[in-house]
Amino acid sequence: MDGFISVFGEPHGIIVGQLIWATQYTIYLSAIAFLGGGLFGSLITFFRIIPSKTLNIISYTYTWLFQSLPLLMLLFLLGLGIPKLFEQDIDPWIAATVALILFTSAYLSEVWRGAIVAIPQSQWEAAKALNLNFVQTLRFIILPQAVKFSVAPTIGFLIQIIKGTSLCYIIGFQDLMLIGKRWANSPVQGSEPFIIFPIMALLYFCLCYPLARLAKHIEKKTIM
Amino acid sequence: MFELRFFEIYRSEEYLLLLIEGIGVSTALTIGAGAMGFSLAFILAALNYWKVPILGFLAACYIDFIRNTPLIVQLFFFAFGLPALIGYVWPFWCHALLALTINFSGYFAEILRSGYASTAVGQLEAAISLNLSRTLTFFKVILPQTIIKMFPSLSSQFIFIFLTTGVISEIGVTDLTHAGIFIDSRTFRSFEVFITLSIIYIVLALILKAIVEIIFRKTLGNRS
Repeated sequence: MDGFISVFGEPHGIIVGQLIWATQYTIYLSAIAFLGGGLFGSLITFFRIIPSKTLNIISYTYTWLFQSLPLLMLLFLLGLGIPKLFEQDIDPWIAATVALILFTSAYLSEVWRGAIVAIPQSQWEAAKALNLNFVQTLRFIILPQAVKFSVAPTIGFLIQIIKGTSLCYIIGFQDLMLIGKRWANSPVQGSEPFIIFPIMALLYFCLCYPLARLAKHIEKKTIM
Repeated sequence: MFELRFFEIYRSEEYLLLLIEGIGVSTALTIGAGAMGFSLAFILAALNYWKVPILGFLAACYIDFIRNTPLIVQLFFFAFGLPALIGYVWPFWCHALLALTINFSGYFAEILRSGYASTAVGQLEAAISLNLSRTLTFFKVILPQTIIKMFPSLSSQFIFIFLTTGVISEIGVTDLTHAGIFIDSRTFRSFEVFITLSIIYIVLALILKAIVEIIFRKTLGNRS
């Protein structure tokens, strides 16, 4: 913090320092949502391709529902609706994490299912001819090929998650967005909205742009 | 343990009118911003495609910056930052329209850009051999093919942004989410209100998707 003050001067040093400090919570939330959503999403993906009609339908409905439901509504439902319905407080951390995990798992499972379906049907038939069962085929034949094609879109979706976390301030989650908005509303000289919001945009950009470049790089490599 | 009281919402004429107004505002702003954003995206992608010196590079920076920052930060900048800079305040919905248009244009431009890049070389050679000018090649060969090829991405991006437009309620636009928040603050039935809102959003998304599909079929679909 002192370093920022000595570089940017009195009000700006504190503002920039606090914004960067708040960014860590944006990163934590994104990481938890990505990991949780990834784990849950892989389960959903498995249910979507498993040869069982009931599980197919359930998992399809799940992906469809959480892809069509706005993230904002999900946050309102988990952060305001359910606590009021059961008359029990829910920590913003929990509400934000659950909402983002539901959102992430639906989108990621769609991406991964796409990658698996893109593998030619003949691969499945060849595996069957080799007397491999469903799990073995998936593990040794299909996944090694599908993973290659799903890395770039998965990283691309991580950007959507980071941008999605910016909505969590609505239910009181303390992240870059909430702290930034608080500064922008404060009457302090040098924290005018036209200074604060570009700084925030820049911080989000610094988080997202490297990932976007990485995704593009990997995409180029896998196509070659 | 808990009770659902949906009738508190739909029995009140005032709330129903608010919801209907919200539906109108949300869809009108999305469609308006979508159309304007597409026109802007078309120019941006063309600048980038023709590698216009300086402008092409600026267009690429703009696309990357818009795509890697959250909509809500952009919205707050255009709603609070910009008025403070230029010293003039428009009605809320104008700020929302501006922010949404810019957001749409970034995403659409990226899709169009990758579409232009993937036009087959043979098509360009054929256009050269027919002695078509560069402008004519662009409008008659590249653009229609790009839109046909990229239509699924464009339409799903359009719906995705429609689902995030709820954030414009944060700057006081009386859209669907705003109506929901107002009804919630009156009735304290958060769960029922946001479930109702979620259903309306899902249905609206389906309708918008159908409308976009019909427009596409009427104009370009018969070519593909």
